[in-house]
Amino acid sequence: MRLFADLVASGIAIGAIYGLIAMGFAVIYKATGLANFAQGEMSMIVAYVAWTISTTLTGNVFVVVAGSIVFAVLLGLAVERFIMRPMLGEPIFSTVLVTIGVAVVLRSLITLVWDAYPHALNLGVGRDVVKMASVSLRGAQIASILTLLAVMGAFYLFFRFSKIGVAMRAVAADDRTALLMGVSAARIHAIAWGCSSAIAGIAGVLFALVYDLSPAMFQLGLKSFPASILGGLDSVIGSGFGGILIGVAENLAGGYVGSGLKDVAGFLMIIVILMVQPFGLFGEREIVRV
Amino acid sequence: MRSGDFKETYADLIVLSDSRLVWAWAGVLVVALVVAPFVVNAYVLSLLTLVLITVTGALGLNLLTGLTGLISLGHAGFLLLGAYGYAIVVAKHNLHPLLGFLAAGVAPALFAIVVGLPSLRLRGLYLAITTLAFSYIISDLILEAKSITDGARGITVQRPEFFGLDFSSDPSFALLCAFVAAVALFACLNIQRSRIGRAFMAIRDNDIAARTMGVNLQAFKLYAFMTSAFITGIAGALMGIYLSFVSVEGFPFLFSIEALAILIVGGLGSALGAVLGTVFIVLLPEAIRILFSWFGGALESLLSTGVHEVKSIAYGVAIILFLRFEPRGLVGVWRDAKRLWTHWPLKY
Repeated sequence: MRLFADLVASGIAIGAIYGLIAMGFAVIYKATGLANFAQGEMSMIVAYVAWTISTTLTGNVFVVVAGSIVFAVLLGLAVERFIMRPMLGEPIFSTVLVTIGVAVVLRSLITLVWDAYPHALNLGVGRDVVKMASVSLRGAQIASILTLLAVMGAFYLFFRFSKIGVAMRAVAADDRTALLMGVSAARIHAIAWGCSSAIAGIAGVLFALVYDLSPAMFQLGLKSFPASILGGLDSVIGSGFGGILIGVAENLAGGYVGSGLKDVAGFLMIIVILMVQPFGLFGEREIVRV
Repeated sequence: MRSGDFKETYADLIVLSDSRLVWAWAGVLVVALVVAPFVVNAYVLSLLTLVLITVTGALGLNLLTGLTGLISLGHAGFLLLGAYGYAIVVAKHNLHPLLGFLAAGVAPALFAIVVGLPSLRLRGLYLAITTLAFSYIISDLILEAKSITDGARGITVQRPEFFGLDFSSDPSFALLCAFVAAVALFACLNIQRSRIGRAFMAIRDNDIAARTMGVNLQAFKLYAFMTSAFITGIAGALMGIYLSFVSVEGFPFLFSIEALAILIVGGLGSALGAVLGTVFIVLLPEAIRILFSWFGGALESLLSTGVHEVKSIAYGVAIILFLRFEPRGLVGVWRDAKRLWTHWPLKY
């Protein structure tokens, strides 16, 4: 029982990071209708920037986090403006492949600019172990769970009540009508990319706090795909839950069956779920007309 | 000068090529391919072999992604299954190499049924990510099934020898690869102009409309998956023989991306495009190496420390630039050049 509780708790913690990145996917999918395959790479590069700030400028946690979020937003905006916007109106297939191209470039840039060795992101916080009942978690793990909940809440309110959030839903539902109603689709896309990149960046920094930085971090993105698919690509809140489900499933599979299964537990899970629910647990069914 | 195309029978319309000149040039190409392995040096020969193997794999993916419009991010999985199919039959059980090639095709094709079944319910991105999931599951299964595959240790593969023909020398192996690539190319070209190929294209262009026209979606999507996996598996077996060692690490996820890059750069849905794209992508690192050596100094040292990274960046940039500026790919450039050649100095 002790093992079970521990596995579930740390599963929720890693799941929260998957969930955050998956929400990033969902935000972009919702606003622009494409999956950003560079999400994992974006969170990796933001984590590396955070590490550079912490080793060269200051180790102050607030400065590092603020700096990396600013960088993440700029990165998202730059990718949208210079790479994705010229692709507007092209088939989805091409735009998705462009994001794969971006992913390949970013991934290699990281090994080229930094190096291929793992580093610890040490901000003096988050490494201490907190004990609750029979479960012990690190500070940063708890922080990731809280961040996920906060971001989920924020997005719920944002989509429900803010003007931009409603505009984003309008663009997602039908971009042409939204344009006619005076919504600037380009600006909505830019906002979506900025938001998504910021969330991915936060997730990257949190991951680097709990574990270590390494060029293999892009796999976070690959693991968050199942999360996003599970929750439904167009459901932002659902993707957050999807992340937690994947994290817990992965940890339980790793703890009770074997480490081999741990890596593919998420993938196995989405295949089973997609057989039953082709648009994910919370995703909206796409109605196709001839 | 040809003055327009007039077709009187249906057979004329779907014939591979009605121009004698094209056949003559194809003959020249075949002769060149047969002679080349014996005259070029070892380095060029290794590049040629790599191009020929990659062409086979790219043609396999082209059937699925280019022709049928089903995006696969998991073709590295089929390559891996093909390589293991061959290695297990030939290297571990000492059976006939032809049986090995058969296994290299059939094993991925059978697995493709498992992968293809979800494709009947899934669309677009959901399908792409499912194929990605399957390629990871294949690697994991191979690592776990230690009694059959030797797990992470991998299997050493020798060059084959059959019908009294010895393929252990590099030129003769290149000939074998050229033969397989030519067969795959002909198979793809013929599939394209048959009823099956037209059904694939109908599914790609609008699957619901295709269905109302009497195309059996389930059967044809599965068929596309199986054929594609079969050809890719054969390429995987050749790759395994070429590397003389088969392991999960030898077939990384990057291969799936590279294959997609080849199709995009070459031109999606065209067999010629797959060939042109392969030549471009495989020779791209060479071109970069030569370019960097001209500039010398700092750039050259950058290349020596991060050759792998520079290569990947080049893929990425090539994908982005082609999609942005020439979505029809090299095949589009080729057609433009051909039109210019026939009509010059007139515009049309």
